[in-house]
Amino acid sequence: MAEEQPQNKKEKISRIYDKYFKIFLLVPIIFLLFSLIYMGIFYNKNKDFIHKDISLTGGSFVTIYDKVDIGDLRATLSEKIGDFNIREIYDLVTKEQKAVIIETKLSGSEIKKILEEFLGYELNNENSSFEFTGSNLSGSFYKQLLIAILIAFLFMAVVVFVIFRKFVPSFVVILSAFADILMTLTLVNILGIKMSSAGIIAFLMLIGYSVDTDILLTTKCLEKNEIKINEKIFRAFKTGMTMTLTSICAVTLALIVVRSFSAVLAQIFTVLIIGLSFDIFNTWVTNASIIKWYLEKNEI
Amino acid sequence: MKFNLTFKIWILIICLLLSFLAIFSMPPIFLKKGVLITSIELNSTAFEHGLREGQIITEIDGYKIRSLEDFSNSLKGKYSSGENEKTIFKIGDSEIILFSKEAPEIIVSELSKTNLKMGLDIVGGSRALIQARDKKLSFLEIKDLADVTSNRLNEFGLSDLKVLPVSDLSGNNFMLVEIAEATPNDLEDLLSKQGKFEAKIGNETVFIGGKKDIASVSRNAQESFIESCQKYDGGRYFCNFRFAIYLSEESANRHAKITENLSMDLKNPEFLSEKLDLYLDDKLVDSLLISKELKGRVTTQISISGSGSGQNQEEAYNSASKEMHRLQTILITGSLPYKLEIIKLDTISPLLGKEFIKVLIIAGFIAFFGVSIIIFFANKKFKSSLAVIFTSFSEIFIILGIASLIEWNLDLPSIAGILTTIGTGIDQQIIILDESKQNKFLSIRQRIRKAFLIILGAYFTTLVSLIPLYWAGAGLLKGFAITSIIGISVGILVTRPAFADIIKNIEE
Repeated sequence: MAEEQPQNKKEKISRIYDKYFKIFLLVPIIFLLFSLIYMGIFYNKNKDFIHKDISLTGGSFVTIYDKVDIGDLRATLSEKIGDFNIREIYDLVTKEQKAVIIETKLSGSEIKKILEEFLGYELNNENSSFEFTGSNLSGSFYKQLLIAILIAFLFMAVVVFVIFRKFVPSFVVILSAFADILMTLTLVNILGIKMSSAGIIAFLMLIGYSVDTDILLTTKCLEKNEIKINEKIFRAFKTGMTMTLTSICAVTLALIVVRSFSAVLAQIFTVLIIGLSFDIFNTWVTNASIIKWYLEKNEI
Repeated sequence: MKFNLTFKIWILIICLLLSFLAIFSMPPIFLKKGVLITSIELNSTAFEHGLREGQIITEIDGYKIRSLEDFSNSLKGKYSSGENEKTIFKIGDSEIILFSKEAPEIIVSELSKTNLKMGLDIVGGSRALIQARDKKLSFLEIKDLADVTSNRLNEFGLSDLKVLPVSDLSGNNFMLVEIAEATPNDLEDLLSKQGKFEAKIGNETVFIGGKKDIASVSRNAQESFIESCQKYDGGRYFCNFRFAIYLSEESANRHAKITENLSMDLKNPEFLSEKLDLYLDDKLVDSLLISKELKGRVTTQISISGSGSGQNQEEAYNSASKEMHRLQTILITGSLPYKLEIIKLDTISPLLGKEFIKVLIIAGFIAFFGVSIIIFFANKKFKSSLAVIFTSFSEIFIILGIASLIEWNLDLPSIAGILTTIGTGIDQQIIILDESKQNKFLSIRQRIRKAFLIILGAYFTTLVSLIPLYWAGAGLLKGFAITSIIGISVGILVTRPAFADIIKNIEE
């Protein structure tokens, strides 16, 4: 009796799944539509796909390795320059302020002068770091990163078609990778995160990560054997969820540690966590439902 | 249970050993004691006595040198008297004895514990991306510019630098300048100005850099070569070089007028009494003898000669060709027909570098710990879970080994690349693990073959998606593409097959 119980439970879930899986599909469709509309409005308003940070619009990041009174600095800077942003770096354990980071559209030498006046000492290699990107370069940089993502996506699509050689299964894998990227982009914009060039790489990483589980699922479902489709999806789900959860866990823990230290890595990790979470949804609802529908319709 | 060391597992073991060699050398460099000479003033007393860049000083005057502090303590106060002092440097098994009134003109640094090189966005340094203003430069023009700039920065005593031509996806060419650690305060000036070149005889300017005065500097093999090498008394070798430059008519006339009034050099009757002094940014960089035949002659072709020396012929030859190249680029400096613009300038302080590496290692360990717990829970088998962790560690180790071998600078994008690889690597191992447990009616070999089909698909999709990044953004994000491609390829070729065999061993 006790051994039969899980089997019954599994069958019960299987029956519910058979009954409702097409309805489940409504959820990703609504999400996808919402994302498309949101991004459409966003693009119309900002003439761009993301909020860009200094590394993509041109300007400087200055890191001062000293204890600086943020309030005073903010007051001084708002008097002298319009648009700027200040962040602090803390020690992981003692929570002591280690450095401040100032973002501005000014060039390195311009902001240096203003900061030196405020601090009362010279900024050099011993006490500060300057990262300046000219607006010409950052513009072309951004364009190229978009091209790189586009080419990457197309290459990925071609490889997926070569692997599966069937339109619907290949298309669904590509669709769910696309949905991952689009939904992540939408959430990143809703949260108002300003993207850097490194953040854009994270989207590229997302292509690789999100396709992994989709390929796993589709390969398992297309296998010709006696196993029922629900069982195939369930087995793939067990493996795929372990994969995604380990990734999310690793990235989250790494984010907690490097967060205060490196804005670059922190942004990559944040985008990955969002993307991987959407991937769970897109692989196991979008991709799984469509492939089940396809296989049942074609009685494969 | 008997563990069967298959061919694939042996390949993994060999790769791990080779990586160890690449990262730590043999004998391991973390066992070495001493300080490394990172830079030495050419033609200084220390140089002439045989001290060279790259040597490791282990003892000074019998005192063991283990750190920078030991080094400075052992020389502290030694040269204050102004008298000639004897200092014995122990380098490897040999000793170099120096007699000098001043401290040796060398810069030393602590020995690194590995052959790994970290990027300047982690350990500090400067990086600039430079373009011509209002002009699209060809790759050849950028190469010339890089040569000129590199020579110019060398003249200013910056030696630990890299000046490279780079291009991006849209076909733009840039010059990338990277300077390790110390950054001069006037770097921006140094880079954006092209340098002023003047050739003077006495106080009179004969010609200045630029197309107006110098029509061309010959760099082909017929007109620019090393003509002879000889051994002189005292055992030193000297090699002479010669190359032609072409002056404009105007400057040729000026040259004739100035040399007309010069007399012969009494000590050296083949030459004129004054020298042709070459100045770069008002700094005298060279003085050339003027052949007596040139006196008062209007000549557009001038032959410039000089020499290099060394302890053997090869060293002398190399020094002469380096010197020739330096002079040629100095003459071209200032003759660039365009203005330069710095479009990216990063000067990163080395202050937090060490701490940053520490934070990265902590992050790596914590992430690994988290992943291990999930795998133990999902898998519930101790041995195979341990195999997952071991394989991932091997993967990081092999990536680092290859990075040391190709002398790749590990910058932030490279580290992000390694992290992704490990992520996808663990994912693929989970696939192998799960596949090996399912479909028990198939043999273990068949089950693992099925897993590999999935993994190959994932490999190729990730590989192609990384390729465009290699060129995007003037190669500043190249590191991500490089480490990821190395990582996933090592995965598919070495670690994954070995992992599959380990699992077969465990399952059987």
